[in-house]
Amino acid sequence: MPKLDKKRAEEANRMWASASFVGVLIIIGLPLWWKTTEVYRVALPYDEINAFDTDSHFITTELVVLANDEKTAAKIAEDIAKAFEQTDIIKLKIRHQKLSDNLHQTLDMVADEQEALEEVAAAVDVTKHNTFHVVQRRHLFQDVWIGGDRVAFFRDLKASSTLIRALSSWVLQPLLLEGARSLAADDARRVRLPSEQHLDLLMTVVHPRPQNMKVVFDAPAVLEDYIGSFVDELSYLHNFTLKSQWLHLTEFDFQAKQVLGPSGPEWWVSVDRLPLLLTQLDGRGLGTIRLAAYILPCDVTPLVLHDRGSRIDAPVPAFMSPKWGGVVLLNPSREECSKGQYVVPVNMLMGTFISQLRKLLGITDKVPIPEAYLLPLDSVSPRHWELDSLLRLRTLEQVTSAQRSLKSLAKLLGEIPNIVITDKVGGYIQSAVEHAHEARVYCELGSLVEAHENARSANDAAETAFTEPSLLALLYFPDDQKYAIYIPLFLPIMFPVILSLKNLILWFKGKPVVKEKTD
Amino acid sequence: MVLYCQIFLIVSYLLHFSLGSAVELPEQFHKSNHTNNWAVLVDTSRFWFNYRHVANVLSIYRSVKRLGIPDSQIILMISDDMACNPRNPRPATIFNNAHEQINVYGDDVEVDYRGYEVSVENFVRLLTGRVPPDTPKSKRLLTDEGSNILIYLTGHGGDGFLKFQDSEEITSQELADALEQMWQKRRYNEIFFIIDTCQASSMYEKFYSPNILATASSLVGEDSLSHHVDSAIGVYIIDRYTYYVLEFLENVHPNSKKTMSEFLSVCPKSACLSTVGVRRDLFKRDPNKVPITDFFGSVRPVIITTDPIYIKHAPKRKKTLNVTRVPEKREYLPQFPMHLVKNTI
Repeated sequence: MPKLDKKRAEEANRMWASASFVGVLIIIGLPLWWKTTEVYRVALPYDEINAFDTDSHFITTELVVLANDEKTAAKIAEDIAKAFEQTDIIKLKIRHQKLSDNLHQTLDMVADEQEALEEVAAAVDVTKHNTFHVVQRRHLFQDVWIGGDRVAFFRDLKASSTLIRALSSWVLQPLLLEGARSLAADDARRVRLPSEQHLDLLMTVVHPRPQNMKVVFDAPAVLEDYIGSFVDELSYLHNFTLKSQWLHLTEFDFQAKQVLGPSGPEWWVSVDRLPLLLTQLDGRGLGTIRLAAYILPCDVTPLVLHDRGSRIDAPVPAFMSPKWGGVVLLNPSREECSKGQYVVPVNMLMGTFISQLRKLLGITDKVPIPEAYLLPLDSVSPRHWELDSLLRLRTLEQVTSAQRSLKSLAKLLGEIPNIVITDKVGGYIQSAVEHAHEARVYCELGSLVEAHENARSANDAAETAFTEPSLLALLYFPDDQKYAIYIPLFLPIMFPVILSLKNLILWFKGKPVVKEKTD
Repeated sequence: MVLYCQIFLIVSYLLHFSLGSAVELPEQFHKSNHTNNWAVLVDTSRFWFNYRHVANVLSIYRSVKRLGIPDSQIILMISDDMACNPRNPRPATIFNNAHEQINVYGDDVEVDYRGYEVSVENFVRLLTGRVPPDTPKSKRLLTDEGSNILIYLTGHGGDGFLKFQDSEEITSQELADALEQMWQKRRYNEIFFIIDTCQASSMYEKFYSPNILATASSLVGEDSLSHHVDSAIGVYIIDRYTYYVLEFLENVHPNSKKTMSEFLSVCPKSACLSTVGVRRDLFKRDPNKVPITDFFGSVRPVIITTDPIYIKHAPKRKKTLNVTRVPEKREYLPQFPMHLVKNTI
């Protein structure tokens, strides 16, 4: 019997040994392997993201119609409401009422529109974003008159169709907004810079031959006063950093041809040459918006641009490149050339720069409408209703872009299962989703500034989430490696362990594992 | 002789005239709607005997630059500095042709990623835009939905991977995923992908994003071969495929009417010794109708400004925000730096 005892003890030893192998490899090892090679992914609000409908955003805008009598006001309001019925991107909230007698009389009395505008501004609140006033004024030379404030004057009931056209193509711009919402870029989007909170603006004065001419121009002060006053008006949309620099001795070969123009000989430069000038300026200094004033050497002045042989009539040869910036070519006059001193025409130069900047930042050109008069700009400040239009545009653009980014990020994360989603990325996505929702709510309420604020936060968060450097961890641990590396290592060890399982179970159940030999 | 010269003059005059006149695409071309061009040119291999890869990538760099893509829109990644290699018998030069005719290193090569910066991680970060926040502008691929991108890779590869720096490799799956992320983020309009390595076509087989036209110097199972040795330098100085590509690009100028399909058939098997692979199922346009300048040239739309604002009164900025105007102090230092020495007497 001691032999049997000894055998039993040996068997117990063996069994416990293999049980410990099983314990280490299967009970501890397998889950550990699975856990450690798992890709860390935070739960994301996929349902919410997939439910985004980027084509359904709209902005509520308030419109107040003030007319001399109740009937006219109601009729105009009705006409406008009917005209804007089809557009789903702008919902008009129209109020109409009779002009107060007091204002009515004053409006009839003042001769000048600008003065009338001041009277209206004194009576109603024209500083409120997203509220536009349509006011009747009998003494108008045209059907409709629009200035810099959030007010349009119209003459009478017959002006209704002109008024609607002016509202739709100048003030409310539903077509432009649809372009901001759509997937494919429209013309305006190809020109304007993408919505970014921080913009660097660099003004460069290029003076190729400083030895020949002295230039009188205080670049930093001019930049500060002109461009500074302009960008202050856009402080809701962007923060700007303004910088200026002088560049000497960067001569550009215009390949100008001398042609006899209407006022003496001129130097003609083909438009096709201009992209090369941009390339040359590109390497000189950084900035998201570049403005360059190029002081032409005297041997190519006066310089005129031509497009395939047809002279371009412009007050000053200037051009811009979409999403890049603008260039103004400055022609010193013959006297200035002979005197060797050039005084830069600041108002003209800055007027051109502002005109370019407006387009780069998203304020579109206003196409003339017959019988409607748009007061031309005479200062650097944009019209107030243009700012509202810009806010609407940027809000829609950013909400849509944020939601698109989130959608494609969600799609991507579904498509590529190896991407790690850290808590940080998850947080960004969560905050983007929340801000997008809020922006939508504010859009529907018509609170433009808050809506824009939220849209920007949503877009920033979505952008950061998409371009977060940690999303790159996928590179180093794909699934096939998980199996390819560990299975050849573990499988040979696992075989005996798995095979011993049966015996182990039998032994634990108290059954004889090895058949006893009968002597 | 005089007559000959005159004919030459006339011809050159005519040539000049036609260059200066308007560029008009012929009818048969599909119009592309891209608004800017970018190029990503990568050489992934180190060491002196891989001289030819540096020559390859620099030659392509020269060509795209000549055809109009500005340096700010070319990302050049070179993993080793052959020009300064101690074994280079002609320091500070890199030639792509025997007889040392063209020095492709020249004096204005802007290398954006060099040496050990050329890694799989940096390459994928560059493509997907997931660069660290402090990355300078020159190291970013700032493309948008209107960008046509030319991607050229050269180095040593195998079936399904491309080796970077002798220490790591990018797999075709990783590359395909990176391109998909670019597409999802709308970072390109179209991509033209060229790769000159052994078994090169394996690198584009896994692509699944739209608007990519890809070509490779060899099919799976084939080697890509080098073209010729320069006995003075002592190593192979250019690869076959790139050599014939350059020969073709030599005759391309910014107004050329050559098409992409001409480019794709640039190196027949008799010349390359390997079969050039092409993948066109992801590309929507017909390569027969795509001008080569859509990828090798550069578009730069220009809008003439004719409506300046007539400013009546000079404005004055109301709030002045953090204006820093430091008065510059300039003076000569004393000729002897006596002010630095304490008086010891």
